Amino acid sequence: MSIPALHLNKVSKDFGRIIALRNIDLDVEDGQFVSVLGRNGAGKTTLLNIICGVSKPSSGVVELFGSDPSDTINKSKLAVISHEMFLYSNLTAMENLEYYAKVYSIPNPAAKIESVLARVELTHRRFDLVGTFSRGMTQRLTIARALLHEPSLLLLDEPFTGLDQHAIGMLTSLLKEQKQMGRTILLTTHDLHIAKELSDRFVIIEKHKILHDGPMVDVTPDEIREKYFTA
Amino acid sequence: MRAALAILRKDLRMEFRSKESILAMWIFSLLIFVIFNFTFEVSRLVMLEIAPGLLWVAFIFSGMFGLNHSFAVEKENGNLRSMALMPVDGGQIFLGKFLSVTLIMLMFEVLIFPIFVIFYDLQLSLQFFLLIPVVLAGTIGFTSLGTILSAVAVHTRNQQILLSLLLWPLVSPIVIWSVNLTSMVLIGEIVPSFYSLLTRIVAFDVIFFTLAYMLFDFILED
Amino acid sequence: MKSTIDKILLVVLLIAFLVCMYLIFIWVPQIKASNASEQIAQKIFYFHVPSAWLGFLAFFIVFITSVGYLWKRDRRYELIGVASAEIGVLFITLVLLTGPIWAKPVWGIWWTWDARLTSSLILWLIYVAYLMLRRYLPDGSKRANLSAVVGILGFVDVPIVYYSIRWWETQHPKAVMASGEGSLAQPMFIAFMFSLATFTVLYVYLLRKRYQLLVIEDSINKQFKEMEIL
Repeated sequence: MSIPALHLNKVSKDFGRIIALRNIDLDVEDGQFVSVLGRNGAGKTTLLNIICGVSKPSSGVVELFGSDPSDTINKSKLAVISHEMFLYSNLTAMENLEYYAKVYSIPNPAAKIESVLARVELTHRRFDLVGTFSRGMTQRLTIARALLHEPSLLLLDEPFTGLDQHAIGMLTSLLKEQKQMGRTILLTTHDLHIAKELSDRFVIIEKHKILHDGPMVDVTPDEIREKYFTA
Repeated sequence: MRAALAILRKDLRMEFRSKESILAMWIFSLLIFVIFNFTFEVSRLVMLEIAPGLLWVAFIFSGMFGLNHSFAVEKENGNLRSMALMPVDGGQIFLGKFLSVTLIMLMFEVLIFPIFVIFYDLQLSLQFFLLIPVVLAGTIGFTSLGTILSAVAVHTRNQQILLSLLLWPLVSPIVIWSVNLTSMVLIGEIVPSFYSLLTRIVAFDVIFFTLAYMLFDFILED
Repeated sequence: MKSTIDKILLVVLLIAFLVCMYLIFIWVPQIKASNASEQIAQKIFYFHVPSAWLGFLAFFIVFITSVGYLWKRDRRYELIGVASAEIGVLFITLVLLTGPIWAKPVWGIWWTWDARLTSSLILWLIYVAYLMLRRYLPDGSKRANLSAVVGILGFVDVPIVYYSIRWWETQHPKAVMASGEGSLAQPMFIAFMFSLATFTVLYVYLLRKRYQLLVIEDSINKQFKEMEIL
């Protein structure tokens, strides 16, 4: 049995008056694509924060590739894409990517930067300041940034919010590509159709607990909505 | 080390492009000098006595601005989070920010000093070179504490007020010692205690730089 | 169990307070002074100095609990630290208030920039800033982390601040609050130590009470959350 990419055992996050997660058990194997669904405030973002090591659980065990998420090795295998840009508006696309390439110690940075820029169709804007980009373009650059270090685990926190059709299409095809390359992907989203299209497993977080964890195969978006999200 | 230099390079690049920080710091200090001229009607002799204090007041108020700016930029696009995610020791990230804030502040200090000399009609002498270690040591102590406290303050909605509130009391020893040393240099009386005082500032720098380096990880964590 | 200790503490405190007052105002022989108000003002010494010591102790506890929190991530450390910081601010406020009350009859001025008073003021500012930081942040592990860092940096700086102001004082001779720590006559020494002990009991009592209050607040909020979940 190989080590799962992600292993959470009885993970809780509560602190003083905040209860964010209670007794979460979750195992994700290498190469799986899991959608994390749930209402706002249910705990999805906290879950992602704990998985990527930014937040520490109050109790329970979190393991990424068999060790602590905040290990440097694990951080270099991990990429997070959320509504936060992680970019500097006062620098060009190129300069932003060069910065991250240095920090992540990427071999052959120039070539890698060129290839990710091409993948998100931003080559023609690489010398422009990020401050001049549209929302769709910044999101594409954020994705490019995330792919620079070829992460084994992708965590996406509602990445489709506020994107135009073109960007949505690009991100969807990109995620399919990453899945084919064997990357493990965790995606939180409100869009049940995209979840159905991309993932092979879905987890529902409700009131800080896991309500359901099962395969995507025999379920339709409408069934999910009716069964779990109609109060 | 690579990450710290990458952060330094990024910050310097942004600063040289916009010159936001240095310009604002310089003008702010200029304003302080001007205002002090009108609010304190004193003889030239007394002016010489308070000039060192004035210099450091200007340095520190402007320095706060630079510190605020440095982290406001990071907060803007969620870059504090991206720093927490980097496969880099928190101390290295602190080092990078510390270096960029310190270098920018030193550049500003070099640029404002001539104005200071002109406004207060100071007689330059060779001894002025002794100001270099004083300003260097004082600035480093200020930015060591300032960098980590700015990272703390940036999490609140009143970043600037909280940074002032936190930083001023903590750097008061630096202010006391630096002003005294500066006074010695400007007046031209370098007593033996000059070197022991300078050593104290350096000790302060070492203590707080080390503490900040070790504690920075906790700032990045959620 | 908890309330028994508290009851005992309260009783001890009240008795100690009464004994203290007796010692200070009746038992201790009058000092030689130029006027009556100066004689009375001197009594402030028995409140002024212990307050300073307890303020310092309180912030030492903040330091310890800050380190403890960063090490163990235990909410209890955070709460003890907060309680101690609040009480520390209280004691230091007392120092800052009794200072002028003492200085005016003795020296004729409200404020003297002497080392103890000035570093108490800076100490006060540091911990007020600590409390304000907490006020401007939402409850959670982030706030606990940030305040712990400030708690550590603040305390490490305190002796340095005191030391640097002492040095500054030698450069600018000022009216110095009689520390009395030098040669104290026997009865005064006894009264002083007793006062110190009383203040210490007061600190412990206040700390326990404040901490208990914070714990209760937490559990109430948790219970509300639980009800929402069920």
